Amino acid sequence: MNVYEKQRRAARPPEPGATGILLAAGTTFQGVTDQITGVVLSPDVPQGWVWCFSVGLIALLMFLIAITAMISTGVGVLGNNIPVAWAFPITNFVWWIGIGHAGTLISAILLLLNQSWRNSINRFAEAMTIFAVVCAGMFPMLHLGRPWIAYWILPYPNTLTIQSQFRSPLVWDVFAVSTYATVSLLFWYLGLIPDLASVRDRAKTRIEYFAYGILALGWRGASRHWRWHKTASKLLAGLATPLVLSVHTVVSFDFTIAMLPGWHSTIFPPYFVAGAIFSGFAMVLALAIPLRKWYHLENLLTQRHLENCGKLMLATGLVLAYTYAIEPFTSWYSGDKFEMYVVHNRAVGPFAWSYWSVLVLNVAIPQLLWWKRNRTNTTILFLISLDVLVGMWVERYMIIVTSLHRDFMPSSWNNYAATGWDNAILYGSIGLFVVLFFLFVRFFPMISMFEVRELLPFSKPGGGSEK
Amino acid sequence: MSWRPRPYGVAAEFDDPGDLVEAVRAARAEGYRRMEAYTPYPIKELDEILPMRNYLPLVVFLSGVLGAFTAFYMQYFIAAIVYPVNVGGRPLNSWPPFIVITFELTVLFAACAAFFSMLFFAGFPALYHPMFRIPSFRRASDDGFFLCIEADDAHFDAQDTLRFLASLDALHVWEVADE
Repeated sequence: MNVYEKQRRAARPPEPGATGILLAAGTTFQGVTDQITGVVLSPDVPQGWVWCFSVGLIALLMFLIAITAMISTGVGVLGNNIPVAWAFPITNFVWWIGIGHAGTLISAILLLLNQSWRNSINRFAEAMTIFAVVCAGMFPMLHLGRPWIAYWILPYPNTLTIQSQFRSPLVWDVFAVSTYATVSLLFWYLGLIPDLASVRDRAKTRIEYFAYGILALGWRGASRHWRWHKTASKLLAGLATPLVLSVHTVVSFDFTIAMLPGWHSTIFPPYFVAGAIFSGFAMVLALAIPLRKWYHLENLLTQRHLENCGKLMLATGLVLAYTYAIEPFTSWYSGDKFEMYVVHNRAVGPFAWSYWSVLVLNVAIPQLLWWKRNRTNTTILFLISLDVLVGMWVERYMIIVTSLHRDFMPSSWNNYAATGWDNAILYGSIGLFVVLFFLFVRFFPMISMFEVRELLPFSKPGGGSEK
Repeated sequence: MSWRPRPYGVAAEFDDPGDLVEAVRAARAEGYRRMEAYTPYPIKELDEILPMRNYLPLVVFLSGVLGAFTAFYMQYFIAAIVYPVNVGGRPLNSWPPFIVITFELTVLFAACAAFFSMLFFAGFPALYHPMFRIPSFRRASDDGFFLCIEADDAHFDAQDTLRFLASLDALHVWEVADE
């Protein structure tokens, strides 16, 4: 029995209502290659892509105008002021970097745990990570006020007679985020190499052949190369696993190491990591659901993938809910007046709207995911993931603004209001993300072909179609 | 007798991973050692039949250790020797806060080593290779499974090896030219 016969035998019609399957029946080696390289090599793009890309491009232009205004005039165009000096830029930073976490979780932690369902979603989740980190990395620099000398924070030999302060979490952040960006990029490219070779081998024009040929580095699928590739992937996964947990921990140190009530708390690192993965899975779903529809990827990105992401979102959401419950408890139990005032002020103060919307958006609404009916309904899942993305942004806003605007001394209290430029930069950064992500979808294989091939039942030597 | 250039090797194409693994086993049994299989995805069985030394874990470990030492020494050198700043009477070599960057650079060095030494060991980038001369070799990144017995094998003989490969369950066999 040759492989074509095996593939034909495996090509039974899917059982009705089968939601547990990873790949639709009838998926063949050639089918996978044609489908994924077709997206890259075909000249036509779906309508949805054109619309999203255009909207993203307009938002990106708005972003460029806004940061030009901000840099040429100064950070005074934003709402940031003493005492609320962090406000939107750091909220955006924490939000974006959190979104990136799901990509590394899927590609590294789920690889080490042998969760083969990750194989269809890891590639674009990793791309999402990289672009989210690109968006995140800009905000700490932008809000410095003089971003052109941001490099002063790096320990380089200089004649300024000052050096980086290694006891400061802000310096840790620079190292954590840049390491994270580099490792994510290497991991993503390592996985792309064999798939770029598939695109190269199917290229129709000379330009495509040349471009993908260079990018594929001459990959030819030799078994020794596969072995190095696999070893390198496993090692990178092992390195990225503690890294992804450390990055958001370091981000939370920016808050916890300050003495401010509401920030100075040991629960912050796990709280931030859970929130990051929560919002990251929301972004994976928000991107996967439309892409799968526009590019007809239902056979590779099955209901089971979406359902698993929904379950992980529910689980991390529950960790977050636990933290929301523990925070008022510890401030009451500590007996510290200032801590208790923060909780009171969050619930009934001028930013009470943010506190209550966080509870509704991040705790109440995601409980819908307990029902299988909701997890398997793509519309509901998409709406819940948008809800979580908004909720997680508001959560970071709430943490930053409520703690800063009321600290120990009533004489230094002040209110905060965002300006139009603040909003333009936030929405503009979403535009940047959308533009980068949709360019990736257009020019790179968005599903890892070689890892999907490994999942096909006839891919094992000696294994027939029975599995 | 006409002079012919020494070939790179002889290659066979299979359409089933099982046939390829069988062919590699048969070639090993025949005494061939210098050979390489080309597949569209990693096949675990081939790792056992085609042995190789894998230095990658060692290189990555040593790079991680180097990263840790570099990071800690950099911080110690700056904070305790060249730019000593007294912050609230804390010791200049306040090592607990230095652990964070030490960890980050350990990961950074090790990850860069994993990626770049993989490229180095595999000889990438190598945009040209004799195997690319095979007309249907593009299927090696899709659904084709190839075996090449290389000419520098001690047992290699262009005629005999070609005949041997043809006796297996191959779709095609070729002599691969080397220039």
